[in-house]
Amino acid sequence: MSPVLAVAGYSLDYVTREGTQRVLEDVTLAIAPGEVLGLVGESGSGKTSLAWAIMRHLPGNAREAAGGSLRLGDVDLRAASARALETIRGRRMSMVFQDPSTALNPTLSIGRQVSEVLVRHRGLSEKDAWQAATEALAHVDLRDPAGLMKRYPHEASGGEKQRVVIATAFACRPELIVFDEPTTALDVITGARILELFGRLRAETGVSALYISHDLALVARVADRVAILEKGRIVEEAPADRIFTAPAHPYTRRLVAAVPRPEQRLVTDQVRPRELLRGEGIAVRYRRKRLFRLAPPPATDHVTLDIRRGEILGIVGESGSGKSSIARALTGLADYEGDIALDGRRIGSVKDMDRTYRKAVQIVFQHPDSSLNPRQTVGDILARPLRLYGGDVATIPALLDEVRLPAAYARRYPHQLSGGEKQRVAIARAFAAKPDLVICDEITAPLDVSVQASVVELLLRLREANGTAYLFITHDLNLVRQVAHRIVVMRQGEIVDLLDMEMLRRGEIHSYTRELIAASPTPVG
Amino acid sequence: MTLAWLLRRFFTVLYTLLVVSVLVFGLTQILPADAAVTLLGENATPAALAAVRERLGLGDPAWLQYWHWLSALLQGDFGTSMRTSQPVGPAMFTALGRSLLLGGASLVVMLVIAVPLGMWAALRRGKAADLMSSLVSYLGVSFPEFVTATLLLIVVADYFQLLPATGYVPPGEDLADSIRHLILPVVTVSLIMVAHVSRMVRSETIDVLNSDYIRAARLKGLPPRTVLLRHVLRNALLPTVTIVALDVGYLLGGIIVVEEIFAIPGIGRALIVAITSRDLPSIQAGAVIMAATYAVANTLADIAYVLIDRRIRYD
Repeated sequence: MSPVLAVAGYSLDYVTREGTQRVLEDVTLAIAPGEVLGLVGESGSGKTSLAWAIMRHLPGNAREAAGGSLRLGDVDLRAASARALETIRGRRMSMVFQDPSTALNPTLSIGRQVSEVLVRHRGLSEKDAWQAATEALAHVDLRDPAGLMKRYPHEASGGEKQRVVIATAFACRPELIVFDEPTTALDVITGARILELFGRLRAETGVSALYISHDLALVARVADRVAILEKGRIVEEAPADRIFTAPAHPYTRRLVAAVPRPEQRLVTDQVRPRELLRGEGIAVRYRRKRLFRLAPPPATDHVTLDIRRGEILGIVGESGSGKSSIARALTGLADYEGDIALDGRRIGSVKDMDRTYRKAVQIVFQHPDSSLNPRQTVGDILARPLRLYGGDVATIPALLDEVRLPAAYARRYPHQLSGGEKQRVAIARAFAAKPDLVICDEITAPLDVSVQASVVELLLRLREANGTAYLFITHDLNLVRQVAHRIVVMRQGEIVDLLDMEMLRRGEIHSYTRELIAASPTPVG
Repeated sequence: MTLAWLLRRFFTVLYTLLVVSVLVFGLTQILPADAAVTLLGENATPAALAAVRERLGLGDPAWLQYWHWLSALLQGDFGTSMRTSQPVGPAMFTALGRSLLLGGASLVVMLVIAVPLGMWAALRRGKAADLMSSLVSYLGVSFPEFVTATLLLIVVADYFQLLPATGYVPPGEDLADSIRHLILPVVTVSLIMVAHVSRMVRSETIDVLNSDYIRAARLKGLPPRTVLLRHVLRNALLPTVTIVALDVGYLLGGIIVVEEIFAIPGIGRALIVAITSRDLPSIQAGAVIMAATYAVANTLADIAYVLIDRRIRYD
């Protein structure tokens, strides 16, 4: 059978001020009818550029090399006129985006945005299209589709919005759908439900799909075949069930090795139950009660937890579960109710957090881009905690060496560093104070898997050398199962589960934890 | 937008105006003008002056004078002009009507030109059309209205004699002539705002064009026209409404200058006449009316904002 999508010898350049940059090099791939091809690559590998090339929506500075071809069935997409493409897009091929909160127009009703495709491509009247769109929403398991049609995007949850986007993509029964990281912006459980939905729609419609993601474990579950993209080249293409068991290319092997496997513990020592820090009944509220308004429910509801000396305590939970609010309370970035005790010393409010406390408790934030001052050199950034907490500025080269960065980086500015390097600087800044506890708030989330693995390895080495305890906040259950001594599971501002590895092995876990584990794709094979 | 919000908003406006009334009254108190001297002239006898002061209550403490003024104001009595001995209120409101005509026409003309200009520049970003519109905008911004007005008077009214230079004709009297008299003032007032607002529309449109939902709309196969009118326009206009509301403040200031140059008997001109003749009741009334106009315009802009952006909810 002839393929639905055939890409052959396709190369693409971007013209930038620094010169021409090749983003795709001689890419060849084909997707058979009903097949799902996974495309895996790290950031900058060109995977999204390939999606734009297929959808014929390249940025103005893109230059396609002569010779390569993109075919959708019988159509030569590169030769198609703008007018012809208008009749192909949305009807014969459509796209599902990464972030459903930006993919829907905030000023148009959801119904309008679904039905306009039907008016455009199936020639329905506004009234019939509205009816058909309502049915399409019902078909993706949205509750109260008729009501949802009249709502605006901000009145729907992230999962609902992604279902709306998927319903729109499927509305005209296209031959091909390009998925660009459709679950990355969603919570684990919501994402898992979206994948279930895709599986069902796929079986019903026999659609072909190009499924783009950075998450190898997830793609291996969704796709029939997986193509690995490295710096614009496809280095390996293999059946999905073979990619973990028999990776052929060295790059694929590196990727596979970097995927966290929960059964492989990276931390083997035990910590003695010596309490370092205790939070008792911590509640954080972001808006105060006002004359005409009741106080909102707290972001965390009287949470009690303790961290032992040298321990790695994992906190997992979905977005909005209150895990970052705990970090903000413990560092004094948010006002809190309740008590914090450091080494038995009571800290009743942010005002009590003196230099000793701040030296002992340091934090590394999720986005190094916004947590490092862009106008300071790395040296300036590290000098400040050293001066504040009685360190020696002369130790900056040693500090950089500890996080495996060259001493010459002290003169660089953050924008001259890669994402992983910036996060290392942020870690060095936290360690400059010689803390007892470092709070890691989703610090691996914005990083590629291979970089993530090296940052985790660095953290573990630093802990070994300094005996530092970590409060490791993450949504990645597989990762936290590799490193944490104990895991706190949060939902809607409350702790629902506190478990150690022994309990996890025996399966003595809360039903919600079980649900989270089931929703986190692990490497197959 | 709830009824409670509207009520609260209404009271906020009232409160603002109360503060303005205190400030205006306070300023007229420290103005170097003696109402009795203004009324009777420099050569009045001390006895006559004293009698007038007694009649006007000028010897009363300031708070009592303020109270008398405010309570009269709340009953719609703005006082009697010291210059014309006529009630101030009706004269000021007639003048306000003329100013609103000038201001409203300027706003409409500005929007009709600025919005398409800004969107056009955004769509032709970096091309000749964009550069032309930028040039026009920068020229517009860099000419204050008294320069624009003078240039227009010299070229259009004096040299080519295409339009009347000054004066005001009520639209009810002779519509065509009224419009002919309004063209130059409206062009003067709207030029700076066109420059300002078209830049705003341009940058907003560029942002919206780069957004995911516009990409999504294009990838649905919608024709460019539909994408532009249905998906881009509304989102690009949202911040523009705020800017226009802020520009009302500028508009009020600009109108004072323009009315003076083109001899339009609006509220700006009335205020200038009142200040030069030290006509205290007129000054007070003019200032309070202008402040009220500004407050009302801002409230209307806020309401318009909710009507076009469903994400904003006042509660």
